[in-house]
Amino acid sequence: MSAAVVDTPTAAPAGQTLRARPRRPGVAAAKTVGLVALLTFSLFPAYWMFSSAIDPQAATRGARLLPAGVTWDNFVSVIDDGGFGHYLRNSVLVALGTVLASSVVALLAAVAVSRFRFRFRKSMLVLILMVQMVPLEALVIPLFLQMRNLNMLNSLLGLTIVYLAFALPFAIWTLRGFVAAVPVELEEAAYLDGASWGRMFWKILVPLVAPGVVATSVFSFITAWNEFIFALTFLQQSSKYTVPIGLQKFFGENTTDWGAVMAASTIITLPVLVFFVLVQRNLSSGLTAGSVKG
Amino acid sequence: MADLRAAPGASLDPAAPADRPTSGTAPTGTRRRRAGGLGHRSPLRPWLLLAPGLVVLGVLLLWPLVRVVLLSLQDYGLRQIASGESNWVGLQNYADILGDSYLWTTVLPNTVLFALACVVLTVALGTAVALFLNTLGGFWRGVGATAIMVAWAVPAITGTYVWVWIFDPLNGLVASVLEGVGAIEPGTVNWFTERLSFYAIATLNVVHHGFPFVAITVLAGLMTIPNELHEAAKVDGASAWRRFWSITAPILRPVFAVVTILSTIWDFKVFTQIYLMPGGNGGNKDVFNLGVWSYIESFAQGKYGMGSAIAVLLTLILLGITLVYMRTLFKEEEL
Repeated sequence: MSAAVVDTPTAAPAGQTLRARPRRPGVAAAKTVGLVALLTFSLFPAYWMFSSAIDPQAATRGARLLPAGVTWDNFVSVIDDGGFGHYLRNSVLVALGTVLASSVVALLAAVAVSRFRFRFRKSMLVLILMVQMVPLEALVIPLFLQMRNLNMLNSLLGLTIVYLAFALPFAIWTLRGFVAAVPVELEEAAYLDGASWGRMFWKILVPLVAPGVVATSVFSFITAWNEFIFALTFLQQSSKYTVPIGLQKFFGENTTDWGAVMAASTIITLPVLVFFVLVQRNLSSGLTAGSVKG
Repeated sequence: MADLRAAPGASLDPAAPADRPTSGTAPTGTRRRRAGGLGHRSPLRPWLLLAPGLVVLGVLLLWPLVRVVLLSLQDYGLRQIASGESNWVGLQNYADILGDSYLWTTVLPNTVLFALACVVLTVALGTAVALFLNTLGGFWRGVGATAIMVAWAVPAITGTYVWVWIFDPLNGLVASVLEGVGAIEPGTVNWFTERLSFYAIATLNVVHHGFPFVAITVLAGLMTIPNELHEAAKVDGASAWRRFWSITAPILRPVFAVVTILSTIWDFKVFTQIYLMPGGNGGNKDVFNLGVWSYIESFAQGKYGMGSAIAVLLTLILLGITLVYMRTLFKEEEL
C-alpha cells in the first residue's frame, strides 16, 4: 500500500501528481497518530507494571505517569522476603523439564505425521488438533484425583508431566510445518549414499529442523512458565510453588503493596517477554504454517 | 499389521503422486522407489515415532476426559475421595445444574456474552491493526509488530494483576484520573463488585492479550495478496472500504475463519483472568463463568461430581465449536 502511494505520482502524468500530493501530509500525520495510539495501547500495561515496580511510592502513585524515583527495593524485598528466588528455581526446573521432554516427543511425532503416509494419519492429525480445545478446567479434576492417589500432588515432577501433555499438541502441530519444509530430496540423497533411517534423521532432519525446535521450545517454556490452574491445584506447600502461585499467594497477603506486587510481576514477565520477542519471526511463520497453510 | 503394510503403497497417499513428477527423470524415480522398498519406509516406523506422544496424550488428556464424564455421573465428594468408592447418581448432577436458574441467569450469560464480546472485539481490532501495519514501511511495521508482541507476551496472570492495579478503586490510575476531573467521589466506586464493570475490565484484559495473535496472522495473510489486485481496483475507482470487502476479505476468508474460531475456543475457557480478579475466586457469585463455577464447586465446595458435570458442559460447548473449526480447516487445507 505504501509502495503504491509513493509510486503512483512518479509514474503518472503531472495532473495526477498534483492531485495525489495534497493527501500525503494528511496520510502521514494519520499514520503517525495511529502508530502512537497502537504503541501506547500495546505497551501501556507493561510500562505501568515496570514503572510501578521501580517506584518507591508505588502504592500512592495514583495518576502519576512517571515514577517518583528509581529504587530496586521492591525487587529485593520480593526475592528476599517474598520467597521468589525459590519460586523462580521451581519454575525454571519445571519449564526446562517440559521443554526437553516435549521437544523430543514432539519432533518424533512431527516426523511421523509429515514424512510418512500411513493409515489413520489423518485421524492422528485430527486428534492432535482436537485435544487442544479441551478446557483445562475439565482435566484438572480427574488429574488432581489421579495425582493424589499417586502421591504426586506436591511434586514438581508431577507438574512437569502434566505440562508435557499440554505443550505437546501445539509443538507437534508447529514442528510438522518445519519438518514438511525440509525437501524430501535431501533425505533421499542420504539414502542413496547408504545412510540408514536413523543416520538420516540425526544428520539431515535434526539440524535442518533445529530452528523450528527452538521456536516450539520457547512456546513449551512459556506454557509451563505461565500455567496457573494446575499449579494452583497441585501445589500446596509453599516450598513447591511456581512463580504464578507465588504471585497469587503474595498478592493475597500484600494486597495494597502494589510496588512489590508489580516487582514480582515484572520478574515473571521478563523471561517470557525476552524469549517471545526474540523468536517472533520463527513464531509467526510457524503459526501461520501450522494453522493456515499446512 | 498387514493392513498397515498395504497402506503406504495404496492410492490413499495424496501427496506422493504430486511429488513424483517434480522429482526428475524416470531412472532416478525407479531407483528412489527401490530405495524406499529397502525398509526406509517401514510401515511400523511412523507408529514407533508416534508412540511416546500418543501415550502422553492418551494417559494425560484422553483418559482424564473419560474420567471426568464418569465423575459427573456420581455424587463424588470428600468421603469418596478418602474411601475411593464410587457413588453413582446417574444424571442427577446434570438435572441439578440445568434446573438451576443460576446457570441460565448468571453463569451462561457471563460465559457466552463475554466470549462473544471478546471474539468480536479481538478480531475487529486485530484486523484493523494488521491493515494498518500493512500500510507502514518496513521499519515502522517492525516497531509496531514488536510492540504488539509485547502485549501478547505478557502472561495472563501478571497482565491481570496490572489491570486490577490500573482499576484499583483506592489508588488506581483510572480512579485517580476520574477523581481528578471530579467525575467520581473518592472511594465510592468499586468496579470489581458490579458484574457489568467487572466483565468490561475482563474484556479489556482478554482483548488486549488476544488481538496480537489475530493481527500477526492476518498481517502474514495480507502480505501474500499481490499488490496488483489493489492497484487494479484503485484504477477502477474502488474505495479502500470497497477494496477491503471485495478483495482482502474474500482472499483471507480462511485466515479469518481460523482466527475467529480459535479466539472463540480460547475465550470460552478463560479462567485465570476471571479467577484472579477481586471476587473471581469465589467471593462474588455474580461474576462466575462456567470454568470458574466448575473449579469452585470442585475445589472450594468439595463437590467433585457437580464440578465435573459443569466441566463436561463446557467441554461439549467447546467440542461443538471445534467441530466447526475442523470443517473449516479441512475445507481449506490438504493435510
